[in-house]
Amino acid sequence: MDRECVSALPRVCEVLAASGGSLPDDTSLEKLLDWFTELSEAGVSLLEACPCLLGFVSAVVSNDAASEPSVLSFTLKLTGLLAASEDGFKVLQDSVLDRVFDFRHWQAAGLWEDPCIRIGWIQGLRTMLQHSQALDFFVQADFTEPLLQLQTDTSLFVASAASQTLAHVLLLCQSVPSPEGRHRETIPVETDGKYSAVVAGFCDYLKKSLVPKEASQLHGSQQVLKLLAKLLTRAGPPLRDRLLLTVSDPLEELVTTNYSQLTLPLMDVILAAHSSCGGGERVARLLSVMLSARNPADLVHAAAAFLRSSHPDPDNRARSAGVLLLPLDVITGLALLGADSSADQHRSSVMEQLRRKTSCVSMICISLTNVPQVTSTAPDCLPCSPAEIVSAVLSVLRLCSGDSPSSSPGCAEVLRNVTGSGRVQKCALDALSALSSSSGVKVLLVEVFTLLIQYLNSPASDPSVIQKSYQVLVKWVDVCADLSDVTEQLREDLVQVVRKRVCDVRWEVRDSTVEFLGHLAAAPASLASDKEKARNALECLPGGRCATVPLLQEALQDPEGYVRASSVSALALTLAPSWQQGAAPPQQEAEIVTRLLEILSQDTQGFSRRAVIRFFVAWISSCSSPSSCSLLTQSIPSILSRGSADLDWEVKVHTLELAELLLDRASESRRHPYAVTPDRTSTHARAVESDPVSMLNSLVDQGVFSALLSGLVDCDRPVGLKACQLLIRLRDTVCPLLLGDQDVSDALVSGSRASCELPGCGWAREVRRILGTATAPRNVHGADGLGPEDRGEEEEEEPAVRVGVCDALRRLRLDERLAVLAQSSDHVHNSPLSLLQDILTVSRTKTHLDSQLGQEVIVDCY
Amino acid sequence: MKLTYCLSGHPTLPCNVLKFKSTTIMLDCGLDTTSVLNFLPLPLVHSPRLSKLPGWVSKDGTINLEKELKECAGRVFVDSQPEFCLPEVELLDLSTIDVILISNYHCMMALPYITEHTGFTGTVYATEPTLQIGRLLMEELVNFMERVPKAQSATCWKNKEIQRLLPGSLKDAVDVWTWKRCYSLQEVNSALSKVQLVGYSQKVELFGAVQVSPLSSGYSLGSSNWIIQSHHEKVSYVSGSSLLTTHPQPMDQSSLKNSDVLILTGLTQIPTANPDGMLGEFCSNLAMTIRAGGNVLVPCYSSGVIYDLLECLYQFIESANLGTTPFYFISPVANSSLEFSQIFAEWLCHNKQTKVYLPEPPFPHAELIQTNKLKHYPSIHGDFSSEFRQPCVVFTGHPSLRFGDVVHFMELWGKSSLNTIIFTEPDFSYLDALAPYQPLSMKCVYCPIDTRLNFHQVSKLLKEVQPLHVVCPEQYTQPPVSQSHRSDLMLELQPPPMPYRRCSVLNLPFRRRYERVYILPEVLLSSCGCPGRLPVLSYKQSQYFFGDGC
Repeated sequence: MDRECVSALPRVCEVLAASGGSLPDDTSLEKLLDWFTELSEAGVSLLEACPCLLGFVSAVVSNDAASEPSVLSFTLKLTGLLAASEDGFKVLQDSVLDRVFDFRHWQAAGLWEDPCIRIGWIQGLRTMLQHSQALDFFVQADFTEPLLQLQTDTSLFVASAASQTLAHVLLLCQSVPSPEGRHRETIPVETDGKYSAVVAGFCDYLKKSLVPKEASQLHGSQQVLKLLAKLLTRAGPPLRDRLLLTVSDPLEELVTTNYSQLTLPLMDVILAAHSSCGGGERVARLLSVMLSARNPADLVHAAAAFLRSSHPDPDNRARSAGVLLLPLDVITGLALLGADSSADQHRSSVMEQLRRKTSCVSMICISLTNVPQVTSTAPDCLPCSPAEIVSAVLSVLRLCSGDSPSSSPGCAEVLRNVTGSGRVQKCALDALSALSSSSGVKVLLVEVFTLLIQYLNSPASDPSVIQKSYQVLVKWVDVCADLSDVTEQLREDLVQVVRKRVCDVRWEVRDSTVEFLGHLAAAPASLASDKEKARNALECLPGGRCATVPLLQEALQDPEGYVRASSVSALALTLAPSWQQGAAPPQQEAEIVTRLLEILSQDTQGFSRRAVIRFFVAWISSCSSPSSCSLLTQSIPSILSRGSADLDWEVKVHTLELAELLLDRASESRRHPYAVTPDRTSTHARAVESDPVSMLNSLVDQGVFSALLSGLVDCDRPVGLKACQLLIRLRDTVCPLLLGDQDVSDALVSGSRASCELPGCGWAREVRRILGTATAPRNVHGADGLGPEDRGEEEEEEPAVRVGVCDALRRLRLDERLAVLAQSSDHVHNSPLSLLQDILTVSRTKTHLDSQLGQEVIVDCY
Repeated sequence: MKLTYCLSGHPTLPCNVLKFKSTTIMLDCGLDTTSVLNFLPLPLVHSPRLSKLPGWVSKDGTINLEKELKECAGRVFVDSQPEFCLPEVELLDLSTIDVILISNYHCMMALPYITEHTGFTGTVYATEPTLQIGRLLMEELVNFMERVPKAQSATCWKNKEIQRLLPGSLKDAVDVWTWKRCYSLQEVNSALSKVQLVGYSQKVELFGAVQVSPLSSGYSLGSSNWIIQSHHEKVSYVSGSSLLTTHPQPMDQSSLKNSDVLILTGLTQIPTANPDGMLGEFCSNLAMTIRAGGNVLVPCYSSGVIYDLLECLYQFIESANLGTTPFYFISPVANSSLEFSQIFAEWLCHNKQTKVYLPEPPFPHAELIQTNKLKHYPSIHGDFSSEFRQPCVVFTGHPSLRFGDVVHFMELWGKSSLNTIIFTEPDFSYLDALAPYQPLSMKCVYCPIDTRLNFHQVSKLLKEVQPLHVVCPEQYTQPPVSQSHRSDLMLELQPPPMPYRRCSVLNLPFRRRYERVYILPEVLLSSCGCPGRLPVLSYKQSQYFFGDGC
């Protein structure tokens, strides 16, 4: 703990105890408590390190009438924290503990009405209850009753905290740490007299409050069910059995009363009971009732909850799958369920629900959303194959577009509810996406393609539906990498629709289209006729890359920044194979590079500029040798200088990533027979590039060194940090080599050979200042005493100077800078000392103002 | 008697006659121009292809109509001046019509046939934009026909015995003997001279018995629905209305409340096509074609949706990098149409009205013209031919592709797959329109933009205004034939709507409860012998009798 903090804390405690109202802001006390919690978790004994805290607690509770509720609440929480350790508990037990947690005292003082006092009391208790002494204290003080009352508190925060604390208490009752705190021992709840009262009290509460007597109590029942589910999941056998025994009758009553709002929490409880111990016959029966005898809307919720729980119970999984498939069966008319399905008894009531718009959309969406869970069920539990489910989902999508009638009798009204429903369309597309990896569905590839292209082509399709359609298409292409089954006509249709959508009025559609092209380029795919050739999905389309690159080039001019950014990324993915093969047509390459450099220097949107730098990073990464991408190599200085001068810090960080890549390449080139430097004969290159000086010169020529130096003095911390790390790496890898290879004097000479020019303006001026190479400041103030900036003049540019690279790397004090940059920007502002000082400063200011105000009042009186 | 005589079977080109309180009111005067699809196109420049089409002879050789009928790509077309299918004129004596109420400029195209050839002596009521733009459309139609005169007139094929042996759509065409050639400019002027202008919510008294009043219908410039009411009865006539936010004043819905009968016509012809989606399709197909180096042809009317298309393109051009692409609007009335749209500020939506006070032109096509991005010409001849630059976008008529400058562009661009024709007008089947141009290489895109009420909107509207009875074309009471499973594409009302078809006569279900009568004091006194006692009024067999109350 900081010495300055230790010395400031007593004064802070005094201030808080005396006038808690004058705090810098509402979060100060929370921050203070967080700091104490961190210290405590780090193993610091708070009472030993900050003895003033005990005095503070005593002072506040003994003078509670004068204390602010927020300070009181803080004190309660702090007391809990101090008493969380057994030593601290002993100290407090002898002094203030009883008084602090005496809720009757707070009630009598009229402070209990304030929710912040109640929540302070609960959280204090919760924090304290870490050991058996604390639990004994809790039991002896009989805090179970008030904690149960707080379950239905008017404040939701209080009720929620009370519920969590109660669960904590009960779980602690069954497993308290041993006095040594090394291991936990399980205490048999039923036989342990000390804690049985707590459990008994809770069980009584459960019996009384689980079943709502009236509609207004539904919320209360929901809370109790949530608490019960939590306990059943985590409790061990004695407590769990006791709880189950207690709630069996109320649960049965709830299951049969059909409260729709309680379906999901009730299902959670039953599943928790069922999972933890099998629950016995009674729980199995309740589960069976939940999955069969409720109204269809609740039934699908229950079935979905059961499947999501991944419980390996084949009968109930089959039943749940049937329940979830029934709405799809009814609406599509496809016989998804076997003739003797148990879900079939609900057919007419499901139809009834589907005729109502709200319940129809909701029910179909739940069915579709849970299709992945349905198909994850063992095949012998499913009434139909995954391919039939895919057909049903496709059928739903056709119904949504209004193009085909349902083959189900009496479905005209239902059809009206789903026609044009974006929600159903999106759920169905998600389901289709998830189903792509199911077994035996590849036979439907053509159908899926046809429908998705139809969706992409439809003027009625919403941008989000179009985006999802593209995503599903990519997913299916990914899974069915062999696109031979997709007819030439379909592939042509896809190209046509993409051509159209890339010109769409809605930028979201253009964006997702361009993204789609990138994803296709990245998706491995082939045609059976062309097996020997490794290809991507884009190459399998008519025209292949040649057809799509012009579309992406056009999209580089898009007025919307997001689209430009996406097209840059898609271009990178599309051109990657040609970069690897060195096959990009020079003309096209030149056009793209020119346009990208324009975007980098002129685009007003950061997204596009970031994408451009990432594009070049990807290109350089793919480039196998400088000769295969000479244009790129020539462009590197421009990219680095423009990227470094960008206003967006992310662009600058990406530029430094590019510089890092070039550094890596340069390092590699010292070991490998190629380099990023322009063409040279290989033998000569080998001779020169094994020389570190030459490597440094090459980096300087490319602008890597300038980019790193400008990043180092950048005002954005992530940029400075990255640049500093890279410069240190460069210093540590290259400069010792120079020193090791030759003697020091030679090194200095060599170092001076690898030099870099620093201009006299911008970032270089700051670097020169650090290096001490700046010319002495001239007296530029005129007779009027004003400097050039005051007079609206530009600062005069100094002449450029050359500095040795290694020399500069040594003199930049990079390690010191790294230490500073590694700390977060707000580390000073957010430090505990700053917090303590803020509290003291505000307090002093308030006192000062109060005294001034008092004087003024006196003056006014006269 | 409250009777409706239905003279048109076309739900969006209605022509109904309402007999109400001894007044005979014609509601709209739509001209069904789909009949022109049976005719060969009228090329502006000699077309070797069309002139070489083989004549039609029946398979057994017994009927030879080589001069009247030509075969093209397996279909048969009449080689004659195109003719139109008029509203039914035999169902009642049209000279008895007192007034004609026009709801929008598309629904008045048959006016000269009614006012000039039936003995009509009444008055036509319409708003000013309806009259002016209606005049432009009529003049354009006349111009299209008159500048390519065709000497021969085909009539033999109309012979009933021959017609039933003809192939395809000609065999099924109805009332072909009533089809008429286009009217003349003189007839247009004479018909329009009978129009009396009215403003929205203006009340017009008809013979003291009935009051009629137009309400904004939100569909086009000056478009109206009509309220026809007596003291105790109210009939609403809803025709071509829109709830979308486009250029016209929004629809006045509240005034339609408390109607005894609501006559509902002019719903969207393409209920499955959302206008916004179609506008998007239009733009993306246009951009796709231009980027590929092709030309875009948009067959359209010279007023209406074209204003919205140009407004949409105004925003789209820059974003799609189409700034250098020329846009041409070719119509004999192009200039007037673009200018009229800018001067009818009071008939425009609020946003556009406020622009006038800035002052700025309400429609952005003014800026497109100013910056030379949009150029308009009366015809392909003259200045256009010297300034024509490709690739380009051409807006021109007629949407049927049977006459007008569009015929020339079809002949010019039809052979290249780089070019695209985009149909935006919903009045004609695009497949039928393209039939005489087959085989065709140019791409075809169907983006019908119909902003009129769809079934969902009209259901909400009717729930809101709650008329006691609804009368509508029979097409609205069942789903479209091509989508018989779509029960959402029809009107489902309680009580069910009264359907009508061409030549139907409906007795409107009024329940008369009150009637206002004026009695002269002398009559009153003479009908009762006892001074100071009032006579008793009784009603028997549609007549009122005063009896002695003594």
